[in-house]
Amino acid sequence: MSRHSGRVYRLAYGITRNQADAEEIVQDVFLTLVRKGAGFEGHAALTSWMYRVTTNVALNKRRGKRRELEVSLEEHLPTYLEDGHRAGDRSYLLADWSSTPEQTHLSAEARKILENAIDGLPDHYRAVLILRDVEELSNEEVAAIVDDSLGSVKSRLHRARMVLREQLTRRLGTRS
Amino acid sequence: MTCKDAIAILADYLESALSPELIEKLEEHLRDCAPCRAYLATYRKTKSLAADAARVEMPEEMKTRLREFLLAQLRERR
Repeated sequence: MSRHSGRVYRLAYGITRNQADAEEIVQDVFLTLVRKGAGFEGHAALTSWMYRVTTNVALNKRRGKRRELEVSLEEHLPTYLEDGHRAGDRSYLLADWSSTPEQTHLSAEARKILENAIDGLPDHYRAVLILRDVEELSNEEVAAIVDDSLGSVKSRLHRARMVLREQLTRRLGTRS
Repeated sequence: MTCKDAIAILADYLESALSPELIEKLEEHLRDCAPCRAYLATYRKTKSLAADAARVEMPEEMKTRLREFLLAQLRERR
């Protein structure tokens, strides 16, 4: 049970960004599981059910909450010149903080920046990011869980990562 | 290939989901474009740092509360 509850909690917290909400979701999911009994054909069916229910409940819980924290995605996506090349200050475009020693592991500062940046993603983007990059599910599995098209999942994931990358670069990039 | 084309396919590139022809075009672009090389390096790093930041553990006391909650529910059902 511990492995499953850890997984459900991680996803619930990842989407709601709130411990109390995540705990309530874990209890709801496991209560439903207890009531359902052994109605799953194998481990994969159970895991997939848990991801789907957790995602739906967590997104419902978030509905209408904390919208004021959401960042504007467009402001954090790369901009281009008419010829399709990157626009912007060249030293900023060349900023590569990826191999600076303090970023090899997650420094306290990078963690804080990332947590705020993840908080600021729209809920459906954050859900896809957690399912793909934390739970390491495939795009196809995520599309089934969030009941959306593969194209939409891939687009949200890419945009979410770009938004996070931009916020890290704005804070860390010019120091390298 | 332009920077816009290159950045649009970075996620597929990291997942090895591009055709050999597109990989060749992208890598050719990356050889000549320092900003896109920096973008790819920081994009890739962001992916792993974000996963680390979001990989939270369920607190022990919460696990205990969940066990007690479920046991109480099971007792009620008997």
